[in-house]
Amino acid sequence: MRNLRYLLYIAILIVLITLPLYTGVYLLNVTDIILIYLALALSWDILLRSGQISFGMAGLFGVGGYAAGLIHLNAGVNPLISIVMGGLAAGLLAWLIGMAVLQLRGMYFAIVTLALAEIFRVIVRNLPDLTGGPEGTVLPSAIFAGNSTKTYWLVLVVALVSVIASEIFRRTRIHFALTSIRNDEVVAKSSGIDVFKYLVFIFVVTSAIQGLTGGAYAHIYGFVSPEGSFSIDFTLLPIAMALLGGMHSTWGPVVGAVVLGVISEFLKLKIPYGHLLVYGLIIVIAILFFPQGIVGTIGQKLKKAHRA
Amino acid sequence: MPFLKTENLTRHFGGIAALNHVSMEFREHEILGIIGPNGAGKTTFINVIAGIYLPTEGKMYFNGQNISDLPAHKRCRLGIARTFQLVRPLQGLSLLENVMVGSLFGKGFGQREAREKAIALCEFLELSDISRDITRMTALEIKKMEIAHALATQPKLLFLDEVMAGLNSDETMEMIALVRRIHSRGITIGIVEHVMRVIKELTHRVVVLDWGEVIAEGPYEEVSNDPMVITAYLGEEA
Repeated sequence: MRNLRYLLYIAILIVLITLPLYTGVYLLNVTDIILIYLALALSWDILLRSGQISFGMAGLFGVGGYAAGLIHLNAGVNPLISIVMGGLAAGLLAWLIGMAVLQLRGMYFAIVTLALAEIFRVIVRNLPDLTGGPEGTVLPSAIFAGNSTKTYWLVLVVALVSVIASEIFRRTRIHFALTSIRNDEVVAKSSGIDVFKYLVFIFVVTSAIQGLTGGAYAHIYGFVSPEGSFSIDFTLLPIAMALLGGMHSTWGPVVGAVVLGVISEFLKLKIPYGHLLVYGLIIVIAILFFPQGIVGTIGQKLKKAHRA
Repeated sequence: MPFLKTENLTRHFGGIAALNHVSMEFREHEILGIIGPNGAGKTTFINVIAGIYLPTEGKMYFNGQNISDLPAHKRCRLGIARTFQLVRPLQGLSLLENVMVGSLFGKGFGQREAREKAIALCEFLELSDISRDITRMTALEIKKMEIAHALATQPKLLFLDEVMAGLNSDETMEMIALVRRIHSRGITIGIVEHVMRVIKELTHRVVVLDWGEVIAEGPYEEVSNDPMVITAYLGEEA
């Protein structure tokens, strides 16, 4: 059984790596966007496993994008390395603000992360000498000179980093710590769990993933701007994907990102001006009728069938 | 050297002193009963010792070490564990995994060792079908699971906060026997209980709290005849 599962994973991986052989540029570009959102959805879900809801993804995504772009532009650092540095910058920033913000919980934490994301955007807008101000900054060229195959591989690596992080956090003691903290912090503390340390750690890691994703995004388009790089889409769509797919798992956000990503692309072609409306409707229906998400609902059905 | 010692331990909530200058001692290997009417400060006492609340005033020493400023998770690692008056199982984790949380973080075992310790504790507490979901457990089983969870942190001092509440008389007998077996593992026990029969059977010594103050201390037979204690429970004579 177990070997079969690993064989399946390897098969999926091979298909993903060789995808550019069978698809055209258009589909590859669509896949890039889906994978970008997939990484964000997973990083949001990982933090959610500790019970903390973040609305600050767009902020750290933008910070990662600006850091990667500007480091490359001003210091001449190799684009790939600058993407990693974008992730590190977002992680470092999360560590600094996390020490203060993670004293808050629930609604208060969520609202402050939303405000922080907005603050980052305003700061970036108002530092024209460094960031190019409201117009943003154009990088000398898109990464890999816009080669769609190599760009796809880059995004695939970013998505795999988030999948691997998610799986590590599902299988190690971190899983027990986060689940305990989400359930009951008093019980967690009384069991010897350093609640604050774990929250800071998980906030830094998920923020670094968001920064890394933002860095890749910035280099793919060769452009950063306050409205583009900090777009609220990078907060709202990943959350919708994780909710639709199913929370607290790796498969949930992955399935949610693929399903919603494909649907939104299809809707964009069919109803260019109303697609967000249909999109919102899907999310409302999903939350009302499948609160466990696609993966959660299927899992429950399988469990029941197994028991009967 | 006393095992656990408190000096003038005080905890205010707003204008109310839930604990008021409590000075007392735990001796090693004893079973100490903590009794008193509702709102006497018994659970607050456990919460202050376990580090959930910091004291407003006063100090506490565990094995001679001043633990007054230590956070809860560090006190757990020193060997102070507790169960909760109302059960607080961890949703999304199986029975075994609930117990494992204690062995993973209380003593810092690796996953494999933590699992072995947790399995052994489930056997000790006669919990079967340990991979089951906690939604499919009885009240008694959940109580036992929480005791296993606390024991998994390898405590030297264990507080049991009203573990008998809600149990029928057979189950109470089973629980009394269980507390004895836990004690015989060399663990000092502080037991908060309203069922006096349990206190009488189990404890070596009793501390009586009323309005956050210690009003009596000594063996159960002595304390139960103390006029102050009778007044605290039954009220003033008319």
